[in-house]
Amino acid sequence: MEKKTNSKNTSVVGGILFFLAGFIGSLIVGWVIFPMVLYSKQPQPLNFSHAIHMDPERVDGIEGDTETEKCLFCHEFREDGTFAGIPRLSKCTECHDDPDSPLGETEEEKTFLKTYVASEKEIPWLSYYQQPDCVYFPHIAHVKMGELECKTCHGDHGHLAQLPPYESNRITGYSRNIWGKRISGYKKHTWDRMKMDDCAECHSKMGHEENNACFVCHK
Amino acid sequence: MGITRRDFVKLVVGGVAGLHVTPLPWKLTDDIAIWTQTWPWVPVPPIGAFNHEKSVCTLCPGGCGIKVRKVDERAVKIEGRTDFPINPGGICPVGMGGLQLVYDKDLRFTSPMKRVGPRGSGDFLPISWDEAIGILASRIKGLRLDGSPERLVAIDGNRRGSTLSQLISRLMRAIGSPNYIRCASVEDTYWMLNVLMQGREGPIGFDLENSDFILSFGCGLLEGWGSPGRTLNTWGMWHEQDRKGKVKIVQIDSRASNTASKAHQWVAVRPGTEAAFALGLAHVIIKEGLYSNEFVENYAFGFDDWTSSDGQKHLGFKSLVQKKYSPSQVADLTGVDARTIETLARNFAKARAPLAIFGKGKALLNGSIYEFMAIHSLNALVGNINMPGGVLVHDPLPLKDLPEFEPDPIAETGLKKPRIDEADTKKYPFTEGLIYNFAKAVLGSSGSAVDTLLVFGANPSFTEPDGGLFSRALKKIPFIVSFSPFRDETALMADLILPDHTHLEKMEEILWPPTLQYPFYGVSRPVVGPVFKTKNVGDTILELAKALEEPVASAFPWNNYEEALKVRAKGLFESGRGLVSYEDQAPPWEQMKKGRSPKPEYTNFDEMWDAIKSSGMWYRPIHSFKNWGKIFKTPNYKFEFYSTQIQLAIDELSQTTDKPGQTVDIMAIRASRDEVFLPHQEPPVLPGKNSTYPLVMVLYEMINLSDSWIPSPPFLTKTWFDNELRKKDSFAEINPRTAKQYGLEDGEKIVIETPSGKAALRVTLFEGAMPGYVFVPRGFGHIAYDEFLKHKGVNPNHLVTTAKDALSGLPLWWTTPARIKKTV
Repeated sequence: MEKKTNSKNTSVVGGILFFLAGFIGSLIVGWVIFPMVLYSKQPQPLNFSHAIHMDPERVDGIEGDTETEKCLFCHEFREDGTFAGIPRLSKCTECHDDPDSPLGETEEEKTFLKTYVASEKEIPWLSYYQQPDCVYFPHIAHVKMGELECKTCHGDHGHLAQLPPYESNRITGYSRNIWGKRISGYKKHTWDRMKMDDCAECHSKMGHEENNACFVCHK
Repeated sequence: MGITRRDFVKLVVGGVAGLHVTPLPWKLTDDIAIWTQTWPWVPVPPIGAFNHEKSVCTLCPGGCGIKVRKVDERAVKIEGRTDFPINPGGICPVGMGGLQLVYDKDLRFTSPMKRVGPRGSGDFLPISWDEAIGILASRIKGLRLDGSPERLVAIDGNRRGSTLSQLISRLMRAIGSPNYIRCASVEDTYWMLNVLMQGREGPIGFDLENSDFILSFGCGLLEGWGSPGRTLNTWGMWHEQDRKGKVKIVQIDSRASNTASKAHQWVAVRPGTEAAFALGLAHVIIKEGLYSNEFVENYAFGFDDWTSSDGQKHLGFKSLVQKKYSPSQVADLTGVDARTIETLARNFAKARAPLAIFGKGKALLNGSIYEFMAIHSLNALVGNINMPGGVLVHDPLPLKDLPEFEPDPIAETGLKKPRIDEADTKKYPFTEGLIYNFAKAVLGSSGSAVDTLLVFGANPSFTEPDGGLFSRALKKIPFIVSFSPFRDETALMADLILPDHTHLEKMEEILWPPTLQYPFYGVSRPVVGPVFKTKNVGDTILELAKALEEPVASAFPWNNYEEALKVRAKGLFESGRGLVSYEDQAPPWEQMKKGRSPKPEYTNFDEMWDAIKSSGMWYRPIHSFKNWGKIFKTPNYKFEFYSTQIQLAIDELSQTTDKPGQTVDIMAIRASRDEVFLPHQEPPVLPGKNSTYPLVMVLYEMINLSDSWIPSPPFLTKTWFDNELRKKDSFAEINPRTAKQYGLEDGEKIVIETPSGKAALRVTLFEGAMPGYVFVPRGFGHIAYDEFLKHKGVNPNHLVTTAKDALSGLPLWWTTPARIKKTV
């Protein structure tokens, strides 16, 4: 009898162990391995330093009363009010106009001048913040009319000295920044995530519930 | 300690439980849903700056204004222009889908090519432009050296009188070939009608917008008639609140087309008897004295019986219709009861601005001249010629002719040789090209009467009737050159391809769109740069002329196509008034009625040309209405019910032929004596329903299916219903009663057979199809292009057995004897 009870106890403990092994294994798979597999990492074609370019001390012309104005110097609105997003080479060559005379001292700039400016080739930037094609997002409504600061959605991006690697979802092809860096989807700052719920949350908070109607964004 | 089955189950349960507290299942579900947005075959516009460019569509002669939305340099959408007088805002489905014609590599040639595989295989090798032009130039030089330049033939599908047409025919003359064959269209029949009854050579303009009674003889007003954008817009206007009930549309059609179903009255007339029906209406109008006395008495010739200077008595229009076209006689012929004819005639004659219109389907195919004359007689009877809401009489566009040149002796000799297609001869004096005769001549010649064939803006292998006669003729021609931008059936038979730009890439001229009631000239401009290595065909011709060296080259002194366009457009400037923008003005059809001539916005030719290039338009919304004493330029200076022009043509032919008694037969006229000169119902040429062919096949056209030489954009595939195209089968519409006779259920397969051939289709039962007739849509059945068009359905053109239309010798398209058989 006793022996039987013992063996029963042992098997309960053993059973829990097996359950836990499975449980913990899954946790590791789900929280650690899955995100590693899900996202591909790719460096940007060129390391652009926002830190340098946002500093009026170091770069002439990047001026403005507000940080937004500084951002808009390069990430500009077109005449028709649409947002140009990542600048084209022509914007860069407004200052870096001579491929033979760098404006700074970095190796990166020399590569840039040689590879792109000299051959007039567009830089194939990878966009961190491109919303899907089915989403209509007007920057002008948010930045000009809503007076949102760039960092509300884009965080510290404008101050980084190093462009982070571009991570793209292997299934959807979208940038990781849309879902957010944290796989849990946990959000601490407004710029942590760019999903539809985040748009709606902000609209509601700002008293624009009417903008949560489907066709406002999914035209 | 071994792992038991129970332990394993626990491990799995633990694993599953654990997974649920990780993001994996939730994130995967979300991602898989989102993945559907990024399927690679879903077209997504590129990212870039939006911009719009305005131009004019040249996919059909309609001349609708288009606005092309672009992202950076990529065109992404085509819309109708609201600042354009012809089509304020609207365009047709083919025009909307036109983007694919520009970017689809399977539809287009991407550079000059020479054939490497067998003809028809589509196996080509890209070559340079210099090499391509060099190959053709040396071939033509060879023909001239041999003293046989007439063995060069050009088939030209461009508009009558267009600069491109003039350049091509000029090239042929400079080389020395009389064989410039223009593809016929409805414009040719309109032109003939105008010459024969009114003595005028300008376009026929229907003032649809101002009319209050539209009597449409098979015109597909909702199927892409004339300028589709304009016609659809007008249809909308007729139904606007302020006109509701005041405008009446009556459709004469053997099938309940969209137009017929939405008209106020649909009169189902047996196909091919439209002339008799029109004359039946004329009978009632005359008998009840409802015609315009003023017009008929003073400005018309041949209404009453008359005696010519030689003392011979002639039949007048009045006697002819009284004798032969009473409602009961017409009822027997057309299948419409006499009372309907009488009521319709009264309603038509009593309307304020009644307008009888003609040009079946999309008004692309040539019509039947005596039928057009019969219908136009109605407009004359009610005095609605050159009146608001009627048929307007115009001069041709005031374009200058290209300067004359002297062909060299080699060319002179070649030009004296007879034309291979007999068009524009005394036999067919009103016709500029007879492709049927050309194909027959090629097939009938023992050697090769034709050495080199040039094909411009046409796909006769697909569009020509008679069982692929044309394609068979192509096989006998040693060298074929296509200038088509598209990989069409004719181009696939070619040995050399000199591809034109597509409509969004080129500057092209738009001549007065058919049926429009005011003078219009337009210029389309490149809204995107050439996507591939193609060249504007106008420039190719000029380069070819240069490569042919003197003396051919000196007949083409222009550096580029635009220079040639400008030479002709100077005439517009010199003609005085003409507007080059349409923004705040009232619509042209309203301005015309007001009679105030607007001031042009330019002071010299260059200003005008730049304005036309940017706005795309030149138009003149002024018109001198009525003016009946001056507008008719016939030998009698009157509107001629009895056409003395026909008499002159016949007299001229009989002087040269050795069989003067059979002149009428040679001209394919089947009536006799005075009827030859009067509007009448020609007896059918092809055998009617008989035991071999108990049915008649009738063609019809769809607005969302291109049936010209332009392919249908693949976008349109989704707009065809399941009873128009199902997988690879297209459909024939038949009446349920006819279906019952053949034991056919909806959707079943049949074989249709005509004297020209047979084909397999499915049937769709349709109450709106006249019993005893089989209705087949034009536009399916390609054997070229891409997966969306190739081998989809049946091409009925090849089933059509044509008889020659009287006087013109052009094909009669619409009815062919047929039989059907159910297949299992």
